[in-house]
Amino acid sequence: MFYKSAITSAAAVAAIGIAMPLAAAQKNGAIAQDFKLTDMYGKTVQLSSFRGKTVVMEWHNPGCPFVVKHYDSGNMQATQAAADKQGVVWLTINSGAQGKQGHMKGPEAQKLAKKQGMKSDHYLLDAKGVVGKAYAAKTTPHMYIIDGSGKLVYQGGIDDKPTANKADIKGARNHVMAALNELKAGKSVSVAQSRPYGCSVKYGS
Amino acid sequence: MTSSSSLPTLRSAQNIRTALQALFAAIFFAALMSISSAQAQVDLNKRELNVPATLVAESEQVQAGQSVTLAFVMNPKPTWHGYWENPGDAGIGMSFDWKLPDGVTAGRAQYPVPDRLLISGIMNYIYKGDYAVLVNLVVSEKVKPGPLPISVKSEWLACTDEVCVPEQDELSINLQVVGPDAAVSLNNAFNDYREALPRQLGSAATFTVKDDLFRLSVPFPANIDVETPYFFIKEDGVVDYAAPQKVNRDGDRLIIETAARGDELQNISGVLKIGQGMGLSLKASSGDVAMSGVPLSSGGDSGNFIGGGDQSNASLLFIALGGAIIGGLLLNLMPCVFPILSLKAISLAKAGGDEGVVRRDALAYTAGVVVVATALGALLLALRASGAAVGWAFQLQDPRIIFVLLSLVTAIGLNLAGLFELPNVNFGNKLAAKDGPAGSFWTGALAAFVATPCTGPFMAAALGATIVLPPIAALIIFAGLGVGLALPFLLIAFVPAIRNRLPKPGAWLDSFRKTMAIPMFLTSIGLIWLLGRQIGEDGLALSLIFLLLVALILWWFGGGQMKGLSRGMVTTGALFAAIIGGVMFLPNEEAMDSQRVATASSATLPSEPFSEARLAELRATDQPVFAYFTADWCITCKANEAAAVQRQETADAFAAANVAVLMGDWTRPDPVISKFLEKHGRAGVPLYLYYAPGEEPVILPQILTVGTLTDLVT
Repeated sequence: MFYKSAITSAAAVAAIGIAMPLAAAQKNGAIAQDFKLTDMYGKTVQLSSFRGKTVVMEWHNPGCPFVVKHYDSGNMQATQAAADKQGVVWLTINSGAQGKQGHMKGPEAQKLAKKQGMKSDHYLLDAKGVVGKAYAAKTTPHMYIIDGSGKLVYQGGIDDKPTANKADIKGARNHVMAALNELKAGKSVSVAQSRPYGCSVKYGS
Repeated sequence: MTSSSSLPTLRSAQNIRTALQALFAAIFFAALMSISSAQAQVDLNKRELNVPATLVAESEQVQAGQSVTLAFVMNPKPTWHGYWENPGDAGIGMSFDWKLPDGVTAGRAQYPVPDRLLISGIMNYIYKGDYAVLVNLVVSEKVKPGPLPISVKSEWLACTDEVCVPEQDELSINLQVVGPDAAVSLNNAFNDYREALPRQLGSAATFTVKDDLFRLSVPFPANIDVETPYFFIKEDGVVDYAAPQKVNRDGDRLIIETAARGDELQNISGVLKIGQGMGLSLKASSGDVAMSGVPLSSGGDSGNFIGGGDQSNASLLFIALGGAIIGGLLLNLMPCVFPILSLKAISLAKAGGDEGVVRRDALAYTAGVVVVATALGALLLALRASGAAVGWAFQLQDPRIIFVLLSLVTAIGLNLAGLFELPNVNFGNKLAAKDGPAGSFWTGALAAFVATPCTGPFMAAALGATIVLPPIAALIIFAGLGVGLALPFLLIAFVPAIRNRLPKPGAWLDSFRKTMAIPMFLTSIGLIWLLGRQIGEDGLALSLIFLLLVALILWWFGGGQMKGLSRGMVTTGALFAAIIGGVMFLPNEEAMDSQRVATASSATLPSEPFSEARLAELRATDQPVFAYFTADWCITCKANEAAAVQRQETADAFAAANVAVLMGDWTRPDPVISKFLEKHGRAGVPLYLYYAPGEEPVILPQILTVGTLTDLVT
């Protein structure tokens, strides 16, 4: 397992040109690990290029019922739109390996994004799972927020109702929205960590 | 990385269970057919679930004021799994939304011991294969006899290694409240369900979070074997689920270390899995925990020592090696070893003039000791590798080995007493020079062989290390034991000053040698006692006859030596035959088990095995009853037994008051005892009950004193 992931990531590192520790969880308050990934249009996106702006990262798997809960209800799109209004950069990341549930190539992702009315700035393809593992993304959805100085300030679930039931969205605390509002008000994030819930990220190894 | 095998929990008595289940399913199905089509519609959906649930009651009749256990019987389809209450990194536990009539309350769900499933570094705490989640319903005394409809909406997550599907179902069951005298029939499948639950540890554990490490210290008796223990924590955010768990054993404690994830709590709880389907549920409070003791399993592979770089294993090797050498040195004083060695030492000293011969002999002796110690170690490792659960004292747990040792020690005693001489191994009455290095080598070999079983408890830790170290390092430790044992000889040989202080051999040496037969025979008596405890008097008598045969053969051999006849070959053959005969005629396992029971009844406070029937019988005759429930892995139980239960004062007081004693052993899961404990509000042992004639039972405190017990009857 170790060797396999080492080989995989060695290949990935060669591909994207940025060295990255193996599956080392990122800590709140620490500078978030920089990375480069290709988005669904084939464009290369680098995290550090957004320095100065707040960045939200959302782990995504269109086949996962917990992701479906937040997209079919429009909750995720609404959160994305609200973030966009605040000038926040939203990165949706798919770490599903080829052959696994939810894996998508660029064109499929474009179709889905259009159909669901996704409001994220970039849909990033991480089929090798390198970035997912660097952030120890465990579930879909799994949310991270990075502040303007590049520090990780939130990681966890989208809200505090760990179900796949759309009816539970109403009355749940949207941790991401709450954190973005606090950041905007110049406050520190009150709930900086929560339990992510959903399907496991479908890594290749 | 491969998924673990299906749940062991319900596998025992699987045939019976499968049959029961089939029967139940048939009844259930028949019932379905007879009700309205609307109802059938719901069940049509249910058939499409990947982890379908069925709600079953242990008894459909329940008396007011009592409780009834319900089971959510989950039957995952092949490749699917359900989740424990803490699902791990991903996944979700079950939820229950009850609709209960007035006067009925539902308790917490009780989950069986889970399995681990690690997929791409994401840890899941799961159940593959059938499992049952139990919930107790308490029916208040106010509830009137009649129908009692129970319904619950439950949600859970069903996953394969690839996909997850949230599932839910509305389950209902119709119970009947019956009068206090009505018969209540119990569903036996619940025995299996309960067997799969973790049992409450009873004593409190301690944990600490420091430097990104989580450590948990659990009271756990040193003499109980565990296979790769794993701690399933209930609270989220405290540990990194996917990180490997290192386990140390330090006396009566298991210490578990793994990566922490940041959250700091005052109290945590969880399940310590100690074997397939065997788990102990525990609570721990924050405190200081050091990673003391000896590693049981390192989370990674144990071969990393040779690869270098593993500091802890390297230092462990040195500590263990030091312990082994000191241990070997102390072995020289053991009653079974001292006679051989003291005589050998003097014979070495005798050759005082010839430095070269002395040194050569000492080195040959050392070689003999080290070779045998290492060979015994290799045998132990091989046995372990072949899967036998052996500890260092494994020799003394097996009556066959005790018998062989007994024969050997007795033979040495007879030799020292002068019954016969060994051709090669000479204990001192001949010149050392004549012995030659071969003689010294064999003396060493013999010393090591006889000495090794005598290793005291202080060696246990060092030898325990050999289990986790890679084989080469383990063998180095065994060799260290041999070096320690041979150390006095090396000193005598290479430091003339010591040699000069030893008494010069003479006529007195022969008397000394004969006197040294006494500790040898004492060792024999010790072994006979040990053997008797294991195989009982009948078996022991037979073994002693074979021992006599060994002695007679040696006598005959000795007689031959007096006449200058060589009977070596015949003697060797006859000896082997006698010893093998003795081993073959040892009682079999079954007889030994019954002997163990007999040994238990000869304890200070004799007891009978607990059963509810026996309890009722004793109660009917108005005899006072003391019932206690214990398990080998329960420290509190063992401490209470040593301090209060198995005491002469207690036994006398109970005998005077004619108290019957019942003992329930919960070391292995026993549904009858589990149910009984539950009835008394305990999920675990110890439980001490005293039934005065015609009165309600008194539950005694968990910490007993002799006074607590004797006061009951005075």
